Amino acid sequence: MTRWDEDEFTANDLLLDRELIDCHGMPAGRVDDLELSDPEPGEPPVLTALLCGPTAFGPRLGGRLGTWWQAIGRRLRLVSGSYPNRIDAGLIDHVDRLEITLLAAREHLDSYRFRRWTEEKIIGRIPGDTT
Amino acid sequence: MKAVLSMTLGVMTAIGGFVDIGNLVTSGITGARFGMTLAWAVLVGTAGMVLFAEMAGRVTAVTRKPIFHVVRERLGVRVSLVNAAASTFLNLITLAAEIGGVSLVLQMVTGISYLIWVPLAGLAAWLVIWRMPFQWMENIFGLLGLGMIVFVVALFRLPTDWHALWHQVISPAVPAGQPAPTWWFYAVSLIGACIVPYQVIFFSSGGREEGWTSKSITEMRVNALIGFPLGGLLSLAIMAAAVPVLQPLNIQVSHLDQVALPVASAFGRAGLAFVFVSFFAATFAAAAESALSSGYSVAQYMGWSWGKRHPPSAAARFHLVCLASVIAATAFTLTTIDPVTVTIFAVVLGAAAVPLTYFPILIVANDARVMGQRVNRRWVNAAGTFFLTIMVVVSLVSVPLLIITKAGQ
Repeated sequence: MTRWDEDEFTANDLLLDRELIDCHGMPAGRVDDLELSDPEPGEPPVLTALLCGPTAFGPRLGGRLGTWWQAIGRRLRLVSGSYPNRIDAGLIDHVDRLEITLLAAREHLDSYRFRRWTEEKIIGRIPGDTT
Repeated sequence: MKAVLSMTLGVMTAIGGFVDIGNLVTSGITGARFGMTLAWAVLVGTAGMVLFAEMAGRVTAVTRKPIFHVVRERLGVRVSLVNAAASTFLNLITLAAEIGGVSLVLQMVTGISYLIWVPLAGLAAWLVIWRMPFQWMENIFGLLGLGMIVFVVALFRLPTDWHALWHQVISPAVPAGQPAPTWWFYAVSLIGACIVPYQVIFFSSGGREEGWTSKSITEMRVNALIGFPLGGLLSLAIMAAAVPVLQPLNIQVSHLDQVALPVASAFGRAGLAFVFVSFFAATFAAAAESALSSGYSVAQYMGWSWGKRHPPSAAARFHLVCLASVIAATAFTLTTIDPVTVTIFAVVLGAAAVPLTYFPILIVANDARVMGQRVNRRWVNAAGTFFLTIMVVVSLVSVPLLIITKAGQ
């Protein structure tokens, strides 16, 4: 069950661009966009996921730079299609003024791929990296 | 006792860390050319740096989020991207200037062309980022940088006309025969040398690296309120020492070794040893810090894990940015572009960019919902807003002055 520190707030206030912290206290990215869905016909939409990654970030930047950012992100993806990385709303532990805490470890999030790639292909190969 | 020791250490490293290639070059040039008539610019820059760093440090201590978190969360995704790009660009020019500075010091000591030293300086700076524990880095180079006190001592040995210097400090005016735009240009460059974006990024991110909490605020304040002004004093001493030695000979400072001349004429070789070690420490530490600051700003903007407190593999993308910055800046310095010119551009453009990071910090430091009882006091706000106005003016005039005066010629 997600804990919200405030009863009423705007997306800009507590969600968009906030830092995600995983269950081990490690940074896990930022909220680039939100996914809302319509559960039942006639019901108001609810927050179903936080979206991250270049294909969510690009459209928010807008303009030509945003299109490029999105295009690069899309070409680097494993899957076809440009739907951004989802962090299911069920994984949100706590939302406060400072950050959003998740229930999962960052290794299990979709948005982890670029970090793993950098670690395995570049940083891990430089001598002297103590893990 | 231990607390006092650690505070003293913090202050001493803040003094050493305040002075970098920007201060060395601009203080040397202005002392030789304008006497002490621009001392006020160092005072303004230092006061601004204290105010800015104290706010940034306080926000970091309370929220545990350093400067670029705040920038992105407050300014939104678009404006903050401009901000992050501008800061990273400036960090890179500054890094190139510092690597050039380190290499010039090594050239002075060995007589071997600085270009040979550039790749080695870059490599050494990267090794510090890669391997050296954060506090070692701060303490070792901060303390060695204190050797610049030799400029203060030299003032007593040289035929210093204290009365004339003091008169220039308290009644500043463009010296006869000097063009006014150039005088103002160097005023901007001195302010920019004192209040450098990378130093604030580094100060606040470094606070996080050292695990600051609300309890660390006193320590942070002592560093900023005592350490930085003493660093400003060193800048003034470098400026003042140039007056009795370089001004009578009409030397236009265009090389780093000319900045060292006053100490050489006061103490000879022994004094020069102090100058070399302290210049090396100051520029080398600044090289590592400005490269780290590139990593800090990009990683904080993107929400990546960052910092030397994690092993490199746990902050892989942060280390990638630092490494790429060092490579880019080293390559840039190797183009044989004059490091002194690069320094002038770095400090002036840096002064122009100060409002970009200063403004969001001022806003958050005012947000009682985030800061609780550590929110800005009214007089801090008054001073902060006043200073913001000054920096906006500086920012607006800096680039036109840069063009009109052809970078201070």
